[in-house]
Amino acid sequence: MQERIAFYEDMKAYNQLFLLLSGGIFRFTYSLVKSNEVAEEIVSDVFIKLWQIKDRLPEIENLKVYLYTIAKNFSLNYINKHYKNTVVSLDGLDVETMIDLNSPAEMCVSADLVQQIRKVIRQLPPQCRLIFQMVKEDGLRYKEVAAILDISPLTVRNQLAIAIKKIGESLPVYLQSGFTMVSRFSHS
Amino acid sequence: MQGEQITQEDRFWLLVSLKLAGEATPEELAELETFLQQRPEMGLRMEMLNGFWLGEPEDQGRRNDALNRHLQRLSNHLSTPTLNYEATMATEEAPAPLPVETHTRGIYRLLWPIVGIAAAIALIFFISHRPESIKNERVEQVAENTISTKPGSKSKIQLPDGSQVWLNADSRITYNETFRGPFREVQITGEAYFDIAKDKDHPFIIHANSIDVRVLGTSLNIRSYANEKNTEAVLIRGSIEVTLRSSPDKKIILQPNEKLVVQNGKAVVVKGMPSVQKYEDAPVMILGKAHIQPKDTIAMDILWVKNKLAFDHETLEEVARKIERWYAVKVNIPDERLKHVEYSGVFEDESLRQVMEALRWTGNFRYSINKREVTITP
Repeated sequence: MQERIAFYEDMKAYNQLFLLLSGGIFRFTYSLVKSNEVAEEIVSDVFIKLWQIKDRLPEIENLKVYLYTIAKNFSLNYINKHYKNTVVSLDGLDVETMIDLNSPAEMCVSADLVQQIRKVIRQLPPQCRLIFQMVKEDGLRYKEVAAILDISPLTVRNQLAIAIKKIGESLPVYLQSGFTMVSRFSHS
Repeated sequence: MQGEQITQEDRFWLLVSLKLAGEATPEELAELETFLQQRPEMGLRMEMLNGFWLGEPEDQGRRNDALNRHLQRLSNHLSTPTLNYEATMATEEAPAPLPVETHTRGIYRLLWPIVGIAAAIALIFFISHRPESIKNERVEQVAENTISTKPGSKSKIQLPDGSQVWLNADSRITYNETFRGPFREVQITGEAYFDIAKDKDHPFIIHANSIDVRVLGTSLNIRSYANEKNTEAVLIRGSIEVTLRSSPDKKIILQPNEKLVVQNGKAVVVKGMPSVQKYEDAPVMILGKAHIQPKDTIAMDILWVKNKLAFDHETLEEVARKIERWYAVKVNIPDERLKHVEYSGVFEDESLRQVMEALRWTGNFRYSINKREVTITP
């Protein structure tokens, strides 16, 4: 009976953990494998793995980092197997990020401007874009991103600053100029 | 960015990025404040960045859907009879063999098309954001989906039309991936309970071992294991039309709570109450009432959906088959006479040993469990 209770408690915690982390891990995985189906399957594999090692969980220092790292390894395995070009690290790997922007109305800007921001984000270097996504969408700390991607926290900090600079500079300085810019765009 | 001259602007963007990421120290925040006082025109940009940084919270329904799909997969992979039914996680004592996970790409791809269909209850769409950049050849090439369960494991799946299927242990369902065309057709081996979404224009057809069942919108149980003599259909709601593969001109209409038993391979139609001993003699097809368990007012035949192991006047030989599938074990009955003794009973959340104990008490036999093998002796 005790085992059963323990099991149900486990299951509940496990489900909550899935709800909490699977979104971010899915996004991260998707960025690497660029397929919804494959990404969701890898996320599922990651959590199956988690279930299998659940007795050893107390030994894991940062579960979030641990799960992202498993997801990274699974993704790289998948890419190796399916694209026949050996990838050992994320360097040079193109990524497909899923960065949510609020609707223009919510951001109090025009649709054109949102398009422009998207374009700027698309033009960021792959690693920069991935870091941007991991910090903004998944709420990961610099240290966590660094551990997952196997880079230094300073790189994360610099890369995010570059992303913010590029996006920020594309934004209008004055609301007024924003409007003129908008009208210029829509008339062209 | 350190060392060489950092422009004031670069410093500003660094501070903004630290603030957005929640990594800024109090000193850095103060520095940012000072900067904004000197360059108020940058304030708007920062506000806009702030505005889109705080995105909408993620769609919880979508994550719940993903969780359910994951749990199905988990239960399949661990070969644990875990059935997520009516939002409760039902569990049995897990049969031990944990398959070492390697491939897995298969099943998932099969489950994927299920996504995107509004469940009658859930009414949540999984928003597919497949970017156009994927030229996905796998989508075109797969024509058929097969979902199967191992012994000791069950699964609940949703078909592309929203119909729900509970798959009992050691069973398999196959359907066309797109699920389009004039008919919604599935092939079933083993046992499955169907809750079929209404769609008058697209009749639902279930192909089993020796029968085809045509449905409009209903729930029913089909039992058609290759290693069993009979194919059974029990109707819970609605109405169905059953055709024998061997004599397609004969059609049988089933009413709710009626049960049809067809002896595989033969095609004589006899109506009457199902009684196990008679099968040996003449009737190869029997139409009768499904047995309703008084306490639950639910047909005995579909108790497995509720994670209950039920025997309804079944011979020990049949009981053994069910136990084999339920617990993923092998059951041997060397003594011929024991095989034909009948048993009834419903077990919920009992271990293999508890079930065997209960049967032993009523059945007057002995048994031994050796690893995954049960031997029953007089």
